[in-house]
Amino acid sequence: MLRKSIWTALSLLLAATLLLTACGPKEAPAPVEEPAATEAPAAATEAPAPAPAEEITIRWRTRPDNQAEIDVYQKASDAIDAKLEGIKLVYEPGGSESSSYQDVLKTEIAAGTAPDVFWIPGTDIADFASRGLILNLNDLAAATEGFSVDDFYPAPMAHLTHNLETGAEGANSGALWGLPRDVSTFVLYLNLDLINEAGAPDPRQLAAEGKWDWEAFKDVATKVRALGPDVYGYGANAWWGPYGVWMNAAGGGFYNADRTACGLDSEGSIAGLAFQRDLYVGDNPVAVPYGEDSEPPFMAGRVAMFQNGRWATPGVRANANFNWDAVELPKGPSGHMGNWLFWGAYVINANTQHPEEAWKLLQELTTAETQGMISELGTNIPSRVSDEAINAFLTFTPPDNNQAFINGLMDMPTAEGPLWAGSWPEFVAVMDPAIASLMTGKTTIDEFKASICAEANKAFK
Amino acid sequence: MRSKYRFLTLLGNLATYAILIGFAYIMLFPFIFMFSTSFKYQKDTFRYPPRLLPREQVTTVVAGYEGEKPLYYVSVGDEKKPYALVETNIKAGVYADPNRPEITYTVPISKVQPSGGAENQKSIIFNGKEEALWDVPIDGKTIPMVLTNQTAVGRFVDPEEPSREAFQNVRLSEPVEKLTIRPQNYKEVTELQGLDRSLSNTALVTILVMVGQLVTSVLGGYALARLRFPGREQIFLIYLGTIMIPFVVLVTPLYQLMVFIGWVDKLASLIIPWIFTAYGTFLMRQFFITIPKEIEEAALIDGASRLQILWTIFIPASVPALATLATFTFLYAWNSFFWPLVIINTGNRANHVLTLALSILRGRAADNANLVMAGAAIAILPPMIIYILAQRFFVESATSSGVKG
Amino acid sequence: MAKPEIDNRTHFLLRLAFVWHIALTIGLLGGIVPLWQAGKMAVWLRLLLTIVMLTGGLASTLAAIFIRRGEHRGRVISLVINYLGFLFCFLGTLHVLGVFLGIDALAETFPRGIPYLGGIFAGYLVSAFGDRYENFPKRQQAFRRAGKIIMGIFGLLFLLAIRTLPGLLALIKRYNSLPPYLLTAGAILFGVMVWVLWRKDSANALKANNAHEEMLNGLLFLSPNLLGFLLFFAAPLLLSFYFSFTNYDATTKVSDWVGLKNYISLLNLTIAPLSSPAQPATEVLNTKIYDELTRITLFGRGFIIGAQDKLFWIALRNTVVFCLLAVPLSVIPALLLANLLNSKLPGMKFFRAIYFLPSVAAVVGVALIWQWLYNAAVGYINYSIVSVINFINNIFGFAIADPQIRWLSDTRTALLAVVIMSAWQWIGFDTVLFLAGMQNISKEIYEAATVDGASKWAQFTKITIPLLAPTTFFVVTTAIINALQLFEQVYVLINTEPPGGPANSTISLVLYLYVKGFQRFQQGYASAVAWVLFVVIFSVTLLQYRRQRGGTYA
Repeated sequence: MLRKSIWTALSLLLAATLLLTACGPKEAPAPVEEPAATEAPAAATEAPAPAPAEEITIRWRTRPDNQAEIDVYQKASDAIDAKLEGIKLVYEPGGSESSSYQDVLKTEIAAGTAPDVFWIPGTDIADFASRGLILNLNDLAAATEGFSVDDFYPAPMAHLTHNLETGAEGANSGALWGLPRDVSTFVLYLNLDLINEAGAPDPRQLAAEGKWDWEAFKDVATKVRALGPDVYGYGANAWWGPYGVWMNAAGGGFYNADRTACGLDSEGSIAGLAFQRDLYVGDNPVAVPYGEDSEPPFMAGRVAMFQNGRWATPGVRANANFNWDAVELPKGPSGHMGNWLFWGAYVINANTQHPEEAWKLLQELTTAETQGMISELGTNIPSRVSDEAINAFLTFTPPDNNQAFINGLMDMPTAEGPLWAGSWPEFVAVMDPAIASLMTGKTTIDEFKASICAEANKAFK
Repeated sequence: MRSKYRFLTLLGNLATYAILIGFAYIMLFPFIFMFSTSFKYQKDTFRYPPRLLPREQVTTVVAGYEGEKPLYYVSVGDEKKPYALVETNIKAGVYADPNRPEITYTVPISKVQPSGGAENQKSIIFNGKEEALWDVPIDGKTIPMVLTNQTAVGRFVDPEEPSREAFQNVRLSEPVEKLTIRPQNYKEVTELQGLDRSLSNTALVTILVMVGQLVTSVLGGYALARLRFPGREQIFLIYLGTIMIPFVVLVTPLYQLMVFIGWVDKLASLIIPWIFTAYGTFLMRQFFITIPKEIEEAALIDGASRLQILWTIFIPASVPALATLATFTFLYAWNSFFWPLVIINTGNRANHVLTLALSILRGRAADNANLVMAGAAIAILPPMIIYILAQRFFVESATSSGVKG
Repeated sequence: MAKPEIDNRTHFLLRLAFVWHIALTIGLLGGIVPLWQAGKMAVWLRLLLTIVMLTGGLASTLAAIFIRRGEHRGRVISLVINYLGFLFCFLGTLHVLGVFLGIDALAETFPRGIPYLGGIFAGYLVSAFGDRYENFPKRQQAFRRAGKIIMGIFGLLFLLAIRTLPGLLALIKRYNSLPPYLLTAGAILFGVMVWVLWRKDSANALKANNAHEEMLNGLLFLSPNLLGFLLFFAAPLLLSFYFSFTNYDATTKVSDWVGLKNYISLLNLTIAPLSSPAQPATEVLNTKIYDELTRITLFGRGFIIGAQDKLFWIALRNTVVFCLLAVPLSVIPALLLANLLNSKLPGMKFFRAIYFLPSVAAVVGVALIWQWLYNAAVGYINYSIVSVINFINNIFGFAIADPQIRWLSDTRTALLAVVIMSAWQWIGFDTVLFLAGMQNISKEIYEAATVDGASKWAQFTKITIPLLAPTTFFVVTTAIINALQLFEQVYVLINTEPPGGPANSTISLVLYLYVKGFQRFQQGYASAVAWVLFVVIFSVTLLQYRRQRGGTYA
């Protein structure tokens, strides 16, 4: 009896040990059918003593929205890996927009598991920089021959060279937080079938004739809306980008002129919001209700004008089975369309072990060659200012009217801006719900105007 | 009298069943919807009114045209016929006979000629305005009409006789459809979000948590039920008191603890902290207390060790309680979301569990209800199957949490 | 029992234990000095280790003394110390070797092992099949043995398939630095000492009796659970309490003691009278601190309520509203359904099974389904509403308009959408609880009532409901506690950025905590939110325990 139980116990113990040891990291030849296993982090933690050459591993990450984008970035990573000697690149696709990419990054930085190089949206640069999470690249850049911040669009570079102490911006500010990956801007994606069916004028035509303004826009939207209760003239998703445009175009904006206080109650901002509110809850609402995702109805052929950035192009290419194209945003009372210059930048983790190698990677990621490779996919516009890049971009059709994007970039867009004088997450946490209340008709313009800045100004230091 | 009573009872029973079936429908409908949508084509998921059975549009090859063309019902004379759509977005005018303005005709602009030639087009006063007149061909006749509106139409042809054509609004045309299923959704969603790996991860985590929790709970429960040692009552009370403490109170420091040990983003963080629970220990203790002491004492006198007693007497006697605890743990581990969301990075797909993968899928495939539902089905099916097999223990785990408490 | 003879071996081993404890004392106490001289290490960690080493040293001294004196206390203390030391070294070895992190690697190979797990299960089925032949012991035995063999074979195959052997080799290769050797040696040493004192002869030598053995067994059996509980539950709990008094930020690692500041800014409210209902808040509130929360009318006079942390109060209000709606909406139908199910009609088990189904599914999955049911344009819910309206319009000639509810994007309906979904998921669980409670009520009472001519409805209201009160109470309090922890439903169903939209109409307390702690990384503040929530939940629980003790609850 006793002996038997000892045997049982021993064999159980053996099984348990075996199971436990199965947890041991695999360095045995990884099976061929599983390419993922070879590059698994488990292999990276195992420092193999007889390594052929001392290769430094640099991990980098972007926020792709689909598999096609992941593949392109992986390709770019492999190409750069082959080019850079002594550096082994590991590309990690981050979560998509709706899975809080930046929050995850912060979590990982807090836990010490963040990659060496990563991309973040322009708005987040200030938050990351002032928390000391990203490296100031000024000295590295100064020591690099042939590097000039003037090669990129000036507006993003102004923010990327913001000096935290002096507030100086520009080439000699003493600060450089990263290099812009790409730029983008809003257009209206058009469902030409709907517009024609409604007998409305072609917005592209109006834009070419210089008649594409808010009134013309509303006229087209109203005509399409009349086609039926489930057809909408205009659709946009509920975030700061789309509603910011209306404020900008009316001469307003999120902040005051020197970006040190809330500007949401300025005359221009209010005029823009009032016009937009009318689209949603006015006497004759033409827009997909605020907060409803506009993309599915647009893809289903029920929205005439869908406001989105270049990043939406691959999805429209893949899913739209109607005649479509793009047109620039209509010009507002200010005489401009009030567009955004969206941008995001590659930055370097402040805790990286290999800042110099990471800086090399950063430069490679922003060469004209790499940018061309990525913008061929259709999601973005190169961040380097050159006629060559723009001409190449214009060939990436559909949409036929790629010029709409370039027009957006040329018409004094407001650069997506980090909030150096305050906390952007706090600011947007106040602004977003207030605008949602406004656009769904829960509050009036006057109520909004009366309280918004008192609350939003708390986000400033 | 008696028959009347019987009739009333019958009526009552019928009403009971009606209510029960109604509720059963409400309870089941979302799942039915999930399965049916998971076999649909994406386009089908945007259709209104919604339909349960998946359908796809019938296409056909038309002589003289390239590729497959979709079929729509087109009114030809008095009947509806399936025609193929060969051209879209043809500019058309909405024309009206000035003599009978209430009837309008939609005709492609290319088919219409200016009345009297382009040079000196005739016009007419219509609704108080001077309007140009157009020669519009209607049923073989040409009638001069005024243009009241513009629109776009599609050109449809009879697939058997491509020269027969018709023009009408495409958006409002009724497509010809057939029933279909699209099992590729499951494959696609698996590839898109790596759900196969998430599934095996979830299974691994669940198994290890279940086994671990059973072991610690049985040992602890036995100690608390049967072995006297100083502090036992106090420990038991503390355990009891902590059952209701919400997990969120612990999230922040537990996260920091994981950072300290280095388990952030590792599966270990989903397993090891969950092995030791007050609830399981409490449940096993409550059950062990009901086992008569005499058997145990006899075994002790025979020289059996405590472990032997636990293994040979208590475990076999408490299979239902163990199964109950196992199902409870299974559900908890399989369905947990908050902790994986916090501790496992979205970027590290290799360590995703199903719930986490699903919440990310929601953002990535926002337009693809068919894919999202396939993903949900993958996450929901395993517990459902196990539930159907071991229903009794699920129900018991529910009741043991309360009624016996 | 006579005084036991101590044989030479035991004598030697006990002496060894004595020496070991003296050495351990010296080692532990002596280790404190280098601990404070060592380079990078957090102060709290140093303090903690010092306390552990001091206690360990003192306990070790006591153990040595008592063992020398031949007292059983020494054995207990020694066993506890050595056992803990053993566990520490053993787990430390596993940790250093990367076994825990290796679970990730196991996850990689695990899918290949799954078919063999199926084989193990098949083996179990074979052996269970033998139980059909209870009257033929030989056949039963044969089945059982065959089952065991199948299980064994598949178990081995499973271990091979998940690459146990390469893993083992990799583990051995990890012995390439000092720590794993040290820890393994420590584990062996402590392990040996545990054995030395655990042996029967040593026990006898130190005058152990049955009660002693029982105590040691009890501690041993409880230890895995208790230690895990202390490490992963009690310690974080205390830490969380501490965090709530600091401004801890996880990204910058700043952590200063701020006293009650977090709690004050959470709970700080102010009220001011209004001269006219539309008077702007900037005129009456100190808007540097307070934001307008709401306006109320009391005794014909308008007041404005301002809050320092407006979002917290909105989250609290949403959570309470959710509770007030979701709990009755799940409990009342459940009670009625349970009453219907509690009959002898056929098929009741089937219905019970169906009703319970939603509570088996993951909230995340359920929310994804409902998200499409709620879809404003093509969802089934709006479609059903329109169908019903059309039906009524046609029958009665009304002209009710289609309400076109934007379930998830309208601030008025978003929370309601969450309520309906949650109630749907909870009904089955509550029904099962009620049913179990009803089946505990004795049949005689109903029979007597039937004889007295009481109607079914009267029986339900006069007998079932009063006698079911304890169950009802339990169900309601559990539902409230669940509802107060609302998170997943909102996070997945109402997927807005920032979470809790539209316009904060669905933000719940736990969601607010998530935003603060894991999006803004103000984890000190988040801990304070957690403790406020804890106080609320604790009060509900307390109410339940009170009631349970005083009531007729079995």
